[in-house]
Amino acid sequence: MRTSTNVFWILAAFYAFSTVLYAVWSLSDPFHHTIEWAGTIALGLLAVMFVFIAFYLKLVHRGQGAELPEDISTANIDDGDPELGHFSPWSWWPIALAAAVALLFLGIAVGFWIAYIGVTLIAITIVGWVYEYYRGYFAR
Amino acid sequence: MYSSVVGHGTLSLNAELGPKIGHNGTVTSTSITPVANTPVVNRPNPVAVGTIVWLGSEVMFFAGLFAIYFTLRAMSPELWSFETSKLDVTYATINTLILVSSSFTCQFGVFAAERLQSRSTGWRPSQWGMVEWFFLTYALGAIFVSGQVLEYATLVTEGIAFDTNAYTSAFYFTTGFHAIHVTGGLFAFLLVIGRAFAVRRFTHKEATTAIVVSYYWHFVDVVWIALFLVIYVLK
Repeated sequence: MRTSTNVFWILAAFYAFSTVLYAVWSLSDPFHHTIEWAGTIALGLLAVMFVFIAFYLKLVHRGQGAELPEDISTANIDDGDPELGHFSPWSWWPIALAAAVALLFLGIAVGFWIAYIGVTLIAITIVGWVYEYYRGYFAR
Repeated sequence: MYSSVVGHGTLSLNAELGPKIGHNGTVTSTSITPVANTPVVNRPNPVAVGTIVWLGSEVMFFAGLFAIYFTLRAMSPELWSFETSKLDVTYATINTLILVSSSFTCQFGVFAAERLQSRSTGWRPSQWGMVEWFFLTYALGAIFVSGQVLEYATLVTEGIAFDTNAYTSAFYFTTGFHAIHVTGGLFAFLLVIGRAFAVRRFTHKEATTAIVVSYYWHFVDVVWIALFLVIYVLK
């Protein structure tokens, strides 16, 4: 993480230098004698954005409270397998909800009575999806 | 930090080489207990990251609506000076204050969720749980949407309808899509409150839901502040 941060700081410094060089070069060039704004601003923004990423990585590194397993030479492969939280392995509810929303829009387009059916099905499917892991076997 | 990690590594090695962990003689399951080799790294919550990415796409959606508004305004400035005089700025300001205050009550609900407290332990707001704060937020958001419906009804009786002219179309498009988003947020609050009631013990999973819904609510609030400044103040 520290290496990554340093790489971004070095790139930021490089592009800051390039910006100044580019501006001075186009000023001293006998064909231009003005600052070429498009390239100067683009290079300057590159420097700013690399500073952003370097600063962000530094904050993340400080906030995570420890070194990443990939930065530790004695770490095992499964150390880099963090707890990600709960994600459903599969579910029928999203596609059922999509069909219900399609019915709603079909109803708005061709005949409004279909929209009532769509809204009812949306209510059922959205509650079904949100509470899929809160009912029956998964109730806790 | 580095040395402590090495220390853990040797510890786990010793556990494997050391005296065998006794079973009751009949169980043949593995006796290897996984040992945490590395310290726990605080990674960003994937659900929160996904929500922020989605809100990024929402920002672009509303940026498109703002672009419609500003383009039409640049094309026909005389229409703007005529139509915007009919808006009730005082009314909209009060409605805005209600929505902004709902963002604060929502954040207090998140603070309660972060200490895994779903219900109140007393009548004082400092003792409120997530459910109480979110019900209050719901009420404030519902007042906002109702106020907006009332404003629409008043405008329509004054002859300012969706299809009157380019200005009214842009007005109803921008504020209407925002109102739909607020309504969606209200349903989200009900679902989060329902989850808090559904479980016996309020865990990090429920807190995560509460936090990402609050992200959405703050986003909708900030969009409204921008809309309010553009439509009612800047005109």
